[in-house]
Amino acid sequence: MSATSTDTRPPRRSRQPSAEARSWAFMRLSGLALLFFALVHFAITHVINDVVETDYDFVAERWHNPAWRVFDWMLLVLALSHGANGLRWIVDDYVRDPGRRKAVKGLLYGLTGVLVVVGTLTILAFPSRPR
Amino acid sequence: MSARSTPYRGKAGQWAFVGHRVSGFLVFLFLLLHIVDVSLLRWPETYDQVHRLYGNVLLRLFEVGLLFALLFHSFNGVRIVAVDFFPDAVRNQRRLLHVVVALTLLAGIPGGIVILWPFIEGRLL
Repeated sequence: MSATSTDTRPPRRSRQPSAEARSWAFMRLSGLALLFFALVHFAITHVINDVVETDYDFVAERWHNPAWRVFDWMLLVLALSHGANGLRWIVDDYVRDPGRRKAVKGLLYGLTGVLVVVGTLTILAFPSRPR
Repeated sequence: MSARSTPYRGKAGQWAFVGHRVSGFLVFLFLLLHIVDVSLLRWPETYDQVHRLYGNVLLRLFEVGLLFALLFHSFNGVRIVAVDFFPDAVRNQRRLLHVVVALTLLAGIPGGIVILWPFIEGRLL
């Protein structure tokens, strides 16, 4: 945002990037991380193994190793936050009415928050021993 | 809105922008569905029942679509980062987009064949 003539605040220091600048940097960093996490995940669950083979026992064996739980949780959080931020940009572009924009964003953040919790609980609550 | 109201008509960068947005949106929708279906792990039998649906040929086609969306979004994302940081990339951005499309097809077609393989062998479900 550009400063107006009535704006008496000192110019923003480059040490303090704006929220949108942070958001821009976050999309690049999380995107590059997701390049690794999402493509490895897809390769394991759809190409190296057939999707039908990735049943409960497959997950149990994989999540026996905590490193895979960390991997999947990283993917969960990075993908959801990257996706929610992307959707926030889409909402800003297409939902012009301020009230509706607020409502749609509220729904987006609420849904994202619920899914972070649901996904985290799924990973954490999974028994460490197979059934 | 008339077609003339925009000075930005169908050049490579605009198609890349549209493709990035649409592919990202589709992957996000799948992510929502996927977190819900994985949460069924709480009930192993239900999870296995629901999960078997992914072997259905329709859902396999859907997975191939997901693969192409994911690949395009990934490679185009790298192009965006390159264009943001390297002046040479800006000058070659059209060529870079061709590389993005080529890589998407190069990885997507064999990947898609692997995903559809059970169907190619004659299994529908």
